[in-house]
Amino acid sequence: MKKRYRLTYFIGQAIKSLWRNGVMSFASIAVLMSCLVVMGGFALLVKNINTNLEKLNLMNQVVAFCFPDAKEEEIESVASAIEKMDGVESFVRVTKAEGLDNMREQAGEFKSIYDDINEENNPLSDKFVITYRSEEDVTNLLYTLNHTEGVRTVNASVDIAKAVLNIKNSIQWIFLGFLVILFVVTVFIIINTIKLALNSRRHEISVMRYVGATGWFITLPFIFEGIIIGLVASVIAYFVEMVAYNYIATSLLSGITMITVLPYKEMGLTVFLQFLAVGVGTGVIGSLISIGKYRKS
Amino acid sequence: MIEFRNVKKLYPNGTIALDGVDLKVEDGEFVFIVGRSGAGKTTMMKLLLREERASSGDIIVGDYNLTKLRNYKVPYYRRELGVVFQDFRLFKDKTVYENVAFAMQVVGTPTKLIKRRVPAILNTVNLPDKGKNFPSELSGGEQQRVALARALANNPKIIIADEPTGNIDPKMSIEIMNLLMKINKLGKTVIVVTHEKALVDYYKQRVVMLRDGKIVEDRVGGMFK
Repeated sequence: MKKRYRLTYFIGQAIKSLWRNGVMSFASIAVLMSCLVVMGGFALLVKNINTNLEKLNLMNQVVAFCFPDAKEEEIESVASAIEKMDGVESFVRVTKAEGLDNMREQAGEFKSIYDDINEENNPLSDKFVITYRSEEDVTNLLYTLNHTEGVRTVNASVDIAKAVLNIKNSIQWIFLGFLVILFVVTVFIIINTIKLALNSRRHEISVMRYVGATGWFITLPFIFEGIIIGLVASVIAYFVEMVAYNYIATSLLSGITMITVLPYKEMGLTVFLQFLAVGVGTGVIGSLISIGKYRKS
Repeated sequence: MIEFRNVKKLYPNGTIALDGVDLKVEDGEFVFIVGRSGAGKTTMMKLLLREERASSGDIIVGDYNLTKLRNYKVPYYRRELGVVFQDFRLFKDKTVYENVAFAMQVVGTPTKLIKRRVPAILNTVNLPDKGKNFPSELSGGEQQRVALARALANNPKIIIADEPTGNIDPKMSIEIMNLLMKINKLGKTVIVVTHEKALVDYYKQRVVMLRDGKIVEDRVGGMFK
C-alpha cells in the first residue's frame, strides 16, 4: 500500500497551532516584521545614497574639463590620451550642449533662467567623466590629467566622496549592530512560540510516537509554523516599507531637487524577495532550534 | 515471535529493573505479565515499545532486534504494535472516529482506506454507533474500547496493553478482557501487563510473574500468586 502524506495536513496543523498560541504568534510576527522593515529601510537608504553619489560623480570619479573654445580634434586627442592612462576604468564624454541640458534639468521649475543661453553663447566646455579603478590610482591619474594638453582643469571631489562614504559606512555598521540584536530577539521569540506549541501538543506527540509516526511527520507542522510566521511577517513588512518609503519620498524629500529618490516600485520585487528569504529563513531557524531542544529533552 | 534473551536493564541511578530475563512468546499467544510495583513490568513494557534500550542481552520482536534497532527505524517497528494504556490517551477534542483515524493518518494511510476501515474496527470493539461522539460522552469502558480500536487501526501483529482495566469498573474490565481475547483469537499476539489478580485467575492464560526484575514463574493457565 502506498503511503501518502498531505501537505494540507501539515499546513493545517501549523495554522491551528499558531491560532492556539495567538499572543506568542502575534509577537513573533510583529517582531520579525519590525526587523525586516528596519533591514529594508537600511538597504533602501544605502541604495539611494549610492545612486546620489553616482549622480554627483562622487563615486570613484574625476571630471576633466576641456577649454570652452576647444576644437573637435583637440577634444578627441584628450579622449585618446585618457584612454591610454593607467587606472582608468571607463570614461564618458559630456558635450557642452549635453552639459547645458543637464543644468536645465537640474534646475527644475527654474530652468527658464537658462533660456538666454544657446549653442552660440554656451559658456560651458566639453568634459570627460572618468571612473578610476581604485583610490590608489587617483593621485597618478590626477597628475597625468593636469599635465595633458587640452585639459583646462580637473575636478576631483575625492575628499567629499570619502566623507560621504565614511558616513554611509558608519550608518551601515550602526544598522548592522541594531539588526543583529533584533534578529537575536526575533529568533528567541520564535523559539518560545514553537516551544509553547510543542508543549501544548505534548500529549498528541506521545500518541503519534506510539502509533509509529516518524520524526519528520511530528516535526514538519512546527517547521511550517516557522515558515508561516516568516511569510506573514514578510508580506506585512513589504507593505509597511512601501507606505513608509513613499511617505518619506513624497512628503519629506520631494522639495529637495538635489536628492534623487528612487521609486519604490523599481526596487519592490528585490525588497520582497529579500524579505521572504530572511523572514522564512529566520522562522525555520527558530523552529529547528526549538525542535532540536525538544528532541534532546 | 517475541524473545527476551538474558535481558538486563540497569538505570543510571543504579536500579536494576530487569536482571537476566529470558522469555519467549510465540505468535498468536496471550500472555499476562504480572507482578507487584517495582517488579519490572513497566520496564519490560518500555523495552518492548523501544522507549528504553536494554543494558545487555537481546530483545527480538519479529524481524527486529530492539537492542540494535537504530532510532530512525523505531517508528516503523512501532507500526507492528498496537498499544493500549491505562489512561486511554485519547484526544478530547477529536471524535471517536477521528481518534481511530488519527493513528492511520499518522502512518500515511490513504483517506479512502481510512473511511472504509475505521467503521469496521469500531464494529469489532462493539462501538459501531459511537463514531461521532467525543470521548467525554463515553464511559471509561467505552473509552478504553476506543483506545483498543486505535491500537488495531494499523492492523498490528502484536497488541500490548498496559493495565488496560486499571481505570474502569469490574464489569467493564470483563468486557475489555473479552475483547482482547477476541482479538487474540483473530491471530494477534496479546500481552497484558496487569496487577489485577481476579482477572488473571479468571482467564487462565499464560502468566509470567516478575519479582525484583526476574521471572519467578511462567505457566500456561497459571494463577496470580
